[in-house]
Amino acid sequence: MEKRNIIETKGVTIQFNGLVAVNGVDFSMMEGEAVGIIGSNGAGKTTFFNLLTGMFPPTSGAVFYDGNDITQVPPHKRVMMGMVRTFQLVSVFDSLTVVDNLILSVTRSREQQRPKGSFFFADARHPSVLKTCEEALATMGIEDKANFMTSVLSYGDKRKLEIAVALSLKPRILLLDEPFAGLGDFEIEEVSSIIRRVKENFSFIIIEHKISRIVDLVQRLSVMHEGRLIAEGVPAEVLRNPLVREVYWGKEEGLACSV
Amino acid sequence: MINTIAYGLTIGAILFIISIGLSLTFGTMRIVNFAHGLVYTIGAYLIVSVLPIVRNNFILGAIIAVLAVIPISYVIERFVIRKLYGVSIDYAIIATYAVALIGIDAIKWIWGASPIPLSDPVGIDVHFFGITLPLYRLIIIILALVIFFALSVFFKKTMVGKIVVAALDDKDAVRSLGISVDKYFTYVFVIGSSLAALGGVLYAPITSVHPYMGMMVLLVSFAVVIVGGLGNIKGTFISAFVLGMVMAITGRFWGPAAETMVFVVMAIVLIFKPIEV
Repeated sequence: MEKRNIIETKGVTIQFNGLVAVNGVDFSMMEGEAVGIIGSNGAGKTTFFNLLTGMFPPTSGAVFYDGNDITQVPPHKRVMMGMVRTFQLVSVFDSLTVVDNLILSVTRSREQQRPKGSFFFADARHPSVLKTCEEALATMGIEDKANFMTSVLSYGDKRKLEIAVALSLKPRILLLDEPFAGLGDFEIEEVSSIIRRVKENFSFIIIEHKISRIVDLVQRLSVMHEGRLIAEGVPAEVLRNPLVREVYWGKEEGLACSV
Repeated sequence: MINTIAYGLTIGAILFIISIGLSLTFGTMRIVNFAHGLVYTIGAYLIVSVLPIVRNNFILGAIIAVLAVIPISYVIERFVIRKLYGVSIDYAIIATYAVALIGIDAIKWIWGASPIPLSDPVGIDVHFFGITLPLYRLIIIILALVIFFALSVFFKKTMVGKIVVAALDDKDAVRSLGISVDKYFTYVFVIGSSLAALGGVLYAPITSVHPYMGMMVLLVSFAVVIVGGLGNIKGTFISAFVLGMVMAITGRFWGPAAETMVFVVMAIVLIFKPIEV
């Protein structure tokens, strides 16, 4: 079967009070591909994610998903189309238990087949839903904390829960916004190996500013700088690009060892 | 003194019924809604107008008045509030204040500006522990308790409730589950507005009905919400009764300071527990 673009943007631009946060970005990726977006803080990476997921409408340009123009499609509908994301600052619901966080997403993803939702939350605690939730927690290694209040989890466990929630939505494309931010080295290794284990099931884009953490997770790197996409290609090639080296490490040679 | 406490409990009950909607709107949508006082006022005026039609059947009148506010609040949500999601909080203040002013003028145009008195719909006093309390006030207090428990169950046990609780934590994350948060915000807004209207209906026989009644109560309600915690039902419940009591006790010693004291308490709470908006 011929592979096609799952995501494509044409000249997407967004301005906030005169500040151009994302500037005419043309980006595309094939179904099944794994892409890393790198760039310094304020380069426009997260804003670009927000444009892809519809959190903000672009000032100009268009976003395509599976060949269809989705620029005007609201964020929740994009999720139901298979575009799932996580946030830079981990986003889970502290006021709910760990398993309840997952129940919301699992029932939501099942509603596609069975649009009539439950009125009472207890009805949503169907054995098959709970089984899916347990499996999702087990994948992330936090099944023993299912009934904890989310607010008491460590930041690392919250990140794992957030990823479990994202995976339970059965993404066709997963957008991970700095999933390693705020984690210790051991947790980074854990989360990274989980991503490596499940990544065959979907396309994904990962934002990170430390290149070494993602270089073996992705097939392609895109570099953003001041709202623009300045380089794209296989990681080794991109890292050799003089422009990338300049914006990333300054003009001095020899600093590349900090990769 | 016991009468003062009974009065404080009534004020607390009314404040809770009004403030809960404000708290939920503030907590989920981060919108400061000045139009909330307007629906409270409209509730009071509607009961005044509906009572003669339903032959002074207060319960039936109250139900009609509250139901009649639902489409009004839906229109406010759909055409004003929804445009304000995610924009600066100042716009929300200006826009909803404008709605409140337009509404107040409309009320003056329809019902006139002079206060309208309404008699106690029950008219019976109950005597216990040596005090005399109008039964109507006791009913209001019980109703506030029922609403508190009903809302607590609603938010704990229903799917809609859980989603709203999740949205109080992080609405973008709810969106990212593929859930249309706007739809749930509409539910929250309509429930909150209906309760505000019920507050107006219930308070109408205690105070006189006038176009600015909502504006006065709204400021105290904001204090209740801030002291109780945004979107926190239990907190709002406790804070409404505490501040109701503060008003009653202060009022007993020096009437003009009753409302001021509420804001003094709010200021003290803010010193120790600042809110993040």
